[in-house]
Amino acid sequence: MTAVDAPALPEARARRARHGRQGLGALGWTGVAMLAVVVLGAVFAPALARHDPDVTSGLPFASPGGSHPLGTDDLGRDLFAQLLFGARVSLFIGVAAAVIAVTVGVTVALIAGYYRGAVETVLMRTVDLMLAFPFIVLVVVFAAFFGRGLFTTIVVIGGVIWARPARVLRAQVIKVREFDHVLAAASMGASGARVISRHVLPRIAPLVAVQFVRAANVAVLIEASLAFLGLGDPGRESWGTTLYFAQARNAFLTDSWAWWVLPPGLGLTMAILGFAFLGYAIEEWADPRLERARVRRRATRRPSPKRPPNPARRQGGDMATAADRTEPLALEVRGLSVHYASADGPVRAVQDVSLSVARTQVVGLVGESGSGKTTLVMGLLGLLRPPGRLRSGTVHLNGRDLGFPRRSEIAAARGRDIALVPQSAMNALNPAYTVLAQVAEAAALTMDGRAATAKARDLLSSVGITADRHRAFPHELSGGMRQRAVIAMALVNDPVVLVADEPVTGLDVVTQARILRLLLEVRERYRIGMLLISHDLPLVARVADELVVMYAGRVVESGPTALITAEPAHPYTRLLLDAFPTLRGPRRALVAIGGEPPDLAHLSRGCSFEPRCPVAVAECPQRLPDLYDQGDGRRAACLLRELRERS
Amino acid sequence: MTEPVAAPTIVELRDVTKRFRRRARDQGRNVVVAVDEVSLSVPAGQVVAIVGESGAGKTTVGHLMLGLHRPDLGSVRFEGCDLAALGRGGLRQARRRMHLVLQDPYQSLHPGMRVEAVVGEPLAIAGTPRAMRRDRVWAALEEVGLTPAGRYAPRFPHQLSGGQRQRVAIARAFACEPRLVIADEPTSMLDASLCAGILELLLGIRTRLGTAFVYITHDLAVARHVSDRLVVMRGGRIVEDGVTDAVLAAPQHAYTRLLLAASEGDLDRVERLEASG
Repeated sequence: MTAVDAPALPEARARRARHGRQGLGALGWTGVAMLAVVVLGAVFAPALARHDPDVTSGLPFASPGGSHPLGTDDLGRDLFAQLLFGARVSLFIGVAAAVIAVTVGVTVALIAGYYRGAVETVLMRTVDLMLAFPFIVLVVVFAAFFGRGLFTTIVVIGGVIWARPARVLRAQVIKVREFDHVLAAASMGASGARVISRHVLPRIAPLVAVQFVRAANVAVLIEASLAFLGLGDPGRESWGTTLYFAQARNAFLTDSWAWWVLPPGLGLTMAILGFAFLGYAIEEWADPRLERARVRRRATRRPSPKRPPNPARRQGGDMATAADRTEPLALEVRGLSVHYASADGPVRAVQDVSLSVARTQVVGLVGESGSGKTTLVMGLLGLLRPPGRLRSGTVHLNGRDLGFPRRSEIAAARGRDIALVPQSAMNALNPAYTVLAQVAEAAALTMDGRAATAKARDLLSSVGITADRHRAFPHELSGGMRQRAVIAMALVNDPVVLVADEPVTGLDVVTQARILRLLLEVRERYRIGMLLISHDLPLVARVADELVVMYAGRVVESGPTALITAEPAHPYTRLLLDAFPTLRGPRRALVAIGGEPPDLAHLSRGCSFEPRCPVAVAECPQRLPDLYDQGDGRRAACLLRELRERS
Repeated sequence: MTEPVAAPTIVELRDVTKRFRRRARDQGRNVVVAVDEVSLSVPAGQVVAIVGESGAGKTTVGHLMLGLHRPDLGSVRFEGCDLAALGRGGLRQARRRMHLVLQDPYQSLHPGMRVEAVVGEPLAIAGTPRAMRRDRVWAALEEVGLTPAGRYAPRFPHQLSGGQRQRVAIARAFACEPRLVIADEPTSMLDASLCAGILELLLGIRTRLGTAFVYITHDLAVARHVSDRLVVMRGGRIVEDGVTDAVLAAPQHAYTRLLLAASEGDLDRVERLEASG
């Protein structure tokens, strides 16, 4: 792929950011330009050509010159006119055949993919049959059978090449059919026709466009081949027909190939490459997965961050969690801020967050989606991807000052002193290797192969995977077992801190309890500190010694779990605790928190929670509350509390 | 809440078994029994919560009630009619009196349809004239808290937040005033601060319309909050079925006890129960 965009204009960048997709890219526009040349030549053929392509207008076999820029053929007809009018025939046949092929293909795909069952079997076996034949042979047979003629050619080509779009689109229809909105429409009692036309077809439309361009591409090529074999419509000369006559008159053996063979050959190349490039570009545009791959590649060059002044010295005691003094600190993060660049200005995903985890301590980091939990972890581990960027902050790991966590510096510690269980890691194990091989691979970071395998076996057993399951492949294990394997992988190099991002999300409650229990056991056995990240406050509160509650990128409350759950100091924490239904006590109406989380690109200068806060006062939107020490290990960032404590 | 004796049965599963064929690349058995001889009837106005781990067959039970799957054995009756006996047209008619709220608000709304069209779709399917549709769509939007409706009606789903999308899905579900609504984990993808609002909204509309309501969830606390009756499923079978408060106060089946211990976060009790069988 050669699509490397020129630096985008600000408004173009904003548009891309809004739509999340880019335009056609350099490749697509190259394709469009190539097709435009061919199409313009075809459209303006009567104006551009000075002779009728079918009428003798000069001497036979004339070289280029005079009114014949490309000379003449054996009958003295103008080759330039033939080139221009040939484009018309080639393109017309290509596009018309593509229309037929895609119409048939889409219909077959929709019927087969939506209704499935026996209909699908019959249709798809037919498709297989069509695809199994070498299609040029099929076309030659049909063309010979039905005779020569423009419309015969179109129908024959269309009738042969519909199978590929049918197969590709059917796979998409089957995928779209499982989409929830399709299910919802069907459950509303919508007819099959309505579901297909309203819900399925619009979702596959971009891919239909791709298939159309591909089909046109193939059709132009097949038509040229047919005409070259003498099976074209003799009355309407396409580029293929021109080449056929050139071949028949031995143009290849004389100098005349340069003006007789080369121009239609180039025309065909332009048209085919143009269609191919355009098809590729539309496909990339329609498929966000390919797009992401491109962004990632482009993002490899990373702006070097300015080393900020050390905020640790600036704000002495602004620690989110008071560490257990009897245990050494395993991880200490101070003043960490992460911004994402966006068209609307910087998105302040994490702002001035400090927290610490002592050995054998479990710190729960709680917040809703978008509160910055995961971004914080990615920042402190040096795993941020552009447009995310660490602005400030320092990290102490196991007593060592890593300073501003540059990617290269933290990378050395990652997987050793600090281990991460990423979100949904249990679904990201490599399906091609056994869990033992994957855990051993992680261990091989610090030891040789045999020791690594032994260590891996030890750990798998200690996380509750029995020896007979060590050589199981990920798909042979349940979600809970896979998560155990992931935890073993994280522990294999004796970390002092384990960061677990939503480690039990997506597991059923009984398995959740088992995994949480395992994490607590592991913490005791290996004496590691644990940072447990989750959106589920009651769940985290069950296992964490300390809680850190984040809202809109900032810590709003932190402290010992028991104190916070008993008497939350911040209104957000209090509302959050009331928002979860309970299993004990009287059933009460749930208190919903009104409004929506704020837009991180447009934060007010005051408290971010103020718009949703039921107890906000006039000063709240004006002043950012500090994390105020309550004196009992708790801190909260709320002006009310601050005002009350001071008065 | 309601008198189960007097209330007519809205939907009823009788000894229903549903098997699915697995794909060849999956190992082991190539047929999986998703629902195994399940009998369950839901009277008008009742809220039934179906709980269980993933793979317990909860969602399949919901789909069977809507006639989205045909049972391999047994029958599904909706308002007294066997769904299998209805033709395509009859099934479509029946489905207009039931509705589904799904888990993922990002997938359950067509990205190319405006909110007005999304909420109006069940009305359009039922043949409500266009002129009447608009008023009902706007009323539905106002009811789910998307006010003023005029501001939200012309938007596309991607212009809404997750919580707002789920409100649109709820407006769509209740727009036709259905007899039965099946909600399949409608809050599990939402943030806690929004979840409570959605639950209260669902319960409020349901109470106003008296709709029979099946709430599928893995979260016992949510189930307790919403339901009159609790159905616990495991491995495609119903292991316990009773009045919610009674089941939670004195669970009879070992699995219900395990589920309750796990949901309460009592890790020691989970271990003890697992050790004892």
